[in-house]
Amino acid sequence: MAALKKRSFSQSLSIILLILIGILIALPLIGATEFSLRDGGRAKHNFHSYTWIFKQEDFFINATTTFEIALVALLVTFILMVPTVAWLHIYGKKYIRFVEIITVLPLIIPVVALATGAQLALPGWLQSTKYVLSMMYVVLAMPFTFRALDIGMRGVQLEVLVAAGRNLGASWRAVILKVITPVILPSIFAALFLTVALSLGEFTLAQLLHWNTFPTWVAVAAQGNILGATALSVGSLLAAWLLLFSFTFFDRKKTNHQEAA
Amino acid sequence: MAKDLILATTRSIAKETGARKRTGLFGIGLRNTFPLFPLLIFLSIFFLWPIGAVFVNAFKNNDGSFTWANYQLLFQAPYNRAFYNSIRLGFISALVGAIPGALIAIAIQQRGSVRLKKLIASISGVLANTGGVPLAFMFLAAFGPEGLATLTLKAIGLDLYGHGFTLFSFWGLVIIYSYFQIPIMVIVFTPALDSLRREWRDAAHNLGASNTQFWLRVGIPLLTPSFLASFLLLFASGFSAFATARAMTVGNIALVPLIIGTLLDGNVTVNQFNLGYALAMGMIIVALLAMIPYLVIQARTSKWQR
Repeated sequence: MAALKKRSFSQSLSIILLILIGILIALPLIGATEFSLRDGGRAKHNFHSYTWIFKQEDFFINATTTFEIALVALLVTFILMVPTVAWLHIYGKKYIRFVEIITVLPLIIPVVALATGAQLALPGWLQSTKYVLSMMYVVLAMPFTFRALDIGMRGVQLEVLVAAGRNLGASWRAVILKVITPVILPSIFAALFLTVALSLGEFTLAQLLHWNTFPTWVAVAAQGNILGATALSVGSLLAAWLLLFSFTFFDRKKTNHQEAA
Repeated sequence: MAKDLILATTRSIAKETGARKRTGLFGIGLRNTFPLFPLLIFLSIFFLWPIGAVFVNAFKNNDGSFTWANYQLLFQAPYNRAFYNSIRLGFISALVGAIPGALIAIAIQQRGSVRLKKLIASISGVLANTGGVPLAFMFLAAFGPEGLATLTLKAIGLDLYGHGFTLFSFWGLVIIYSYFQIPIMVIVFTPALDSLRREWRDAAHNLGASNTQFWLRVGIPLLTPSFLASFLLLFASGFSAFATARAMTVGNIALVPLIIGTLLDGNVTVNQFNLGYALAMGMIIVALLAMIPYLVIQARTSKWQR
């Protein structure tokens, strides 16, 4: 009985805590949303600042640039990371620790320092294409992409599945397409999503390597129109939320499928 | 006894594979590690090379010959002040993020439904990546003198600006940083909580321990390393954050990343470029000092967390 009482006490404590967090998260967001809907004074609200965004030519130019950079970063992450981590789990288990350590390094080195080095060291032809940012974003995302793939593949014991598939007479093609791909798809998706999320919002490298991307444009736009910049900020945050929730939905469906199988 | 035997056997096996690993990576078995080459080459070009270049050039003077002068400048005004500010900002914002973050993670892990856990994980994922310029503008709009948050707080009797508060200050930055520091803490601390096995709690309770005793004698000692590791990670993120700080300070707070940014923008003499490299190396050294203990702790805790 006492235990029951205690439980409900800490349960209500948790609920209070969660509500408090909810308020803390929501307050700046709601405040900013309200602010972005203002027109002139505190009393009048409309969508002027939002329609303003779509009247800006630079909005489309910079958004396109950012999407292109993100797309290339996604492709490179896929081609580079998925085979490497799969190989590590099937044949190279003893190297996992080593790769884990080298892939966590980008998390340790401050991005500003990396940007300094990139500007200093990378050859001119590489720095004169915006896709240099894609490559840097692949590096920046690597601590997260490696972990996502590593955890995903560790969870399904990839090497056991491959051994089982091969022993039962499946061809390599069949093993890759019908065994490996379906089970690691959620973790691949998570890794790619992390790369895209990082690429869409990254500011430091783009700014320091002198590229105009969507995030750097938001900073510039603020100098001319703070309401518009607030609308842009709220809009891009909400877009990021939407993207992530759709991803969570996809992920949940996948996991349910796995549990059922 | 039997357990000791198993442990000893695994250890000797681990030793053997460890020995083989050494010849595998650099010795005859180069062919075996070939699939790792694309990743290693990629990291060499886009990560090791830039960092190496910063390291080498920080020791050069304008003529390209060796000097310690750039590093000596780091200990003089205004750069020593900038390092002090950045380290203090990293430390305080980590503290402000780590404690509530850990409590949230515990509350959710203990009582939350699966759905709530997933929801919090998603929200944390978004918020942790919400750094940068939009975050700064969001706070400016909500907590500016005319913002809704300010007015709401004023209505309930808390007049922020009456007390000389401004977002364009050290503490303003700390508040804004907590918006991504707390979620990062939730993300990195939750796995440690998940590995606190249910059986240990049950075992403690079966042996007559109360909830408080379990936390004092088992929970907190086991979680302390993970907490410290997470704290160090937050420190590094607060210490090196650039975008938000750039949008929020109007040159009134000297922070190392901001100074490097100004130096890189090109309106400086060549001499100051080398200073920029020394500043970047200074940041790397501070980050390494924080992160090496992080890696050591992670390696130790991951033994029982798997």
